[in-house]
Amino acid sequence: MDRAALSPPDRPLRPARWLSHGWRSLVRRQELVVFLLLLLFGIALTFSTSTFFTGSNLINIVLGCSWYVIAALGATMVIIVGGIDLSVGSVMALAGIVSALALQAGLPIALALLLGALLGALVGLVNGLLVGRTGLPPFMVTLGTMGITRGVVLSLTSGAPVVSLPPSFLYIGQGDLALGPIAIPLPVAWMALLAVLVSLLLHQTVLGRYIYTVGRNERALSVAGVSPRRLKIGVYTLSGLLAALAGMVMTARLGVAAPMAASGYELDIIAAAVIGGASLFGGEGTVTGVILGAALIQVVRNGVVLLGLTNQNQWQFVTIGAMILVVLLLDQWRRRRV
Amino acid sequence: MAARALRKPAAKTPRALSRKWRSLGALGVLAVSVVLCAACQAPAAPSGPAARKKLTIAWVNKSLGNPVFDLGRRGALQKAKELTASGPIDVEVLSVGPVAADAVEQTRMMDDLIARRVDGIAVSCNDPTACIAPINRAVAAGIPVMTWDSDSPQSQRFTFLSIDNYKSGQTAADLLSKAIGGRGKVAVLTGVPGALNLDQRVRGFRDRLAAYPGMQVVATIASNEDINLGVQGVEETMQAHPDLRGWFFVGLWPLVADRGAMPLWEQSARRGDLKSVAFDTLPIELSLLRDGYLDALIGQKYWNWGYDSTQMVYDYIVAGKRFPVFIDTGVDIVTRNNVEAMVRAWETNDFSQPLPAP
Repeated sequence: MDRAALSPPDRPLRPARWLSHGWRSLVRRQELVVFLLLLLFGIALTFSTSTFFTGSNLINIVLGCSWYVIAALGATMVIIVGGIDLSVGSVMALAGIVSALALQAGLPIALALLLGALLGALVGLVNGLLVGRTGLPPFMVTLGTMGITRGVVLSLTSGAPVVSLPPSFLYIGQGDLALGPIAIPLPVAWMALLAVLVSLLLHQTVLGRYIYTVGRNERALSVAGVSPRRLKIGVYTLSGLLAALAGMVMTARLGVAAPMAASGYELDIIAAAVIGGASLFGGEGTVTGVILGAALIQVVRNGVVLLGLTNQNQWQFVTIGAMILVVLLLDQWRRRRV
Repeated sequence: MAARALRKPAAKTPRALSRKWRSLGALGVLAVSVVLCAACQAPAAPSGPAARKKLTIAWVNKSLGNPVFDLGRRGALQKAKELTASGPIDVEVLSVGPVAADAVEQTRMMDDLIARRVDGIAVSCNDPTACIAPINRAVAAGIPVMTWDSDSPQSQRFTFLSIDNYKSGQTAADLLSKAIGGRGKVAVLTGVPGALNLDQRVRGFRDRLAAYPGMQVVATIASNEDINLGVQGVEETMQAHPDLRGWFFVGLWPLVADRGAMPLWEQSARRGDLKSVAFDTLPIELSLLRDGYLDALIGQKYWNWGYDSTQMVYDYIVAGKRFPVFIDTGVDIVTRNNVEAMVRAWETNDFSQPLPAP
């Protein structure tokens, strides 16, 4: 049996093809649905407020979702291999606290960042080993490591936030990248860089193709002599690493590492991935989708404040919850069609 | 190749099984070591010739992440040490709290404390209603309960130690009005909607604004006690209302972030267009006040949350002392005029001296 004979996952259809498929394939392309929704919300907010469509607000929105996207890139890969990673929020806090403590202890910045990243990858590795080797359900495994990691974070600082971080570290989150007249906040630049890297991995490498195949047909992969287990371990490790990077970028932006930081973010992160088209059944999900999903959530949040609906915060939750349900229904409908 | 593929899973089963057991074994070892760790952190049993009586007081806070509770915890531990040294009973304080500000988790912890048969409980409730049942269960089991910081008025707690939140919300309105000359748009940032003490502060603030018709509240943001969400809320509000003149921070959440995290708020504050009044008097806020970003702080007496409540539970049990339903700790008002005294209190860890007038 030849590896090349393995049916590669049907890559997202090329523009020329989906145009000819008519509206049904439009709906099939979840990214497009989300993009249209985003456009709709954007237009509505542009006309109903004077402050939405301004450079600084748009940059604020992208900035606000940058660390969610960075963590969601990893969480999406985990979803593509048919798993789920609930530990991302805790790992964000872990990396933030560990790098901050390392800086306080006088370690050079590169070493502090490396330490945070490695610890995040380690939590991911533990997730991967437990999922890959014992066959325990990923939901339960990562629920466990989520709790353990948060506990470790709290015990590291006995609950107090770590402040007074060196300016060189804060620059990672607060600096700007000048692109002509526009100043791009560095977290946005990191997000773009990592999104491109993950996109290359998923769509331009054999490894990426295997990652999609694990989620679709695990047996086909093992028949071909590729270990799905090792792939999963690798993907969970990457998820831990990306969550750690997200946590450190957020910490550098806020200038404080709080032990309860990012608690509950795993749900926003998974929601971003799912709204963006990652299927909890595995095998589907794209980088563009995640970015759009996260942006949509952020625009809803932003809109609630700009419209002055802050006394009706519940609508934010209702909207995001309803979007998740609609997207899941669409996902199921598509599956029945295929 | 096909045969190999077929054989492979079958041949693997025993190994896979033993691996599974090995992982389970590792988990077991982990669990045991966690328990041992917890055990070795527990205080040693009382020694000495005449075994002294022991009194265990549980001090329950709202969440582990908030630094003000850490100060309260230190106050409680300090009082336990003093009572043990000066009295006939060994007083032990068990400081517990849910990881996040979660009412359900706190209820579960209270039930654990009842099952553990502690002698008394002092709790800051995440939710006034959710707290009723566990407090009443404790009282029914013969464990007296008092509340501090955040009350559960319909429960059978014997007293409530706190500031008058409503009144201090009014004080915040007065301070902010004075800072901005009684005119302009203002915004409020709170924590988790539903927390009684925070809601009372907001209500006091809003009610008092009726006396200042020139001021309107244009936004009330919930930060969910999350620094990042608080920062985003502040910046978005600054975006939505460029002519905002004042902020009332019902808690310090977004202020924990370092300079540079809220550029719009910082610019307006530096220009003097925007004045902010905040609850709490933590070092981080004191430095913001010194640098002119904040105008006034309203501080609770965190240390006393632990220090006084431990004394009160002790007096209730040991001396049979009874208390009125509400004990007002009063507030510290910190402005540029007396900030140095507060800074010194933090540096020396001595909060027993009253502050000079603001």
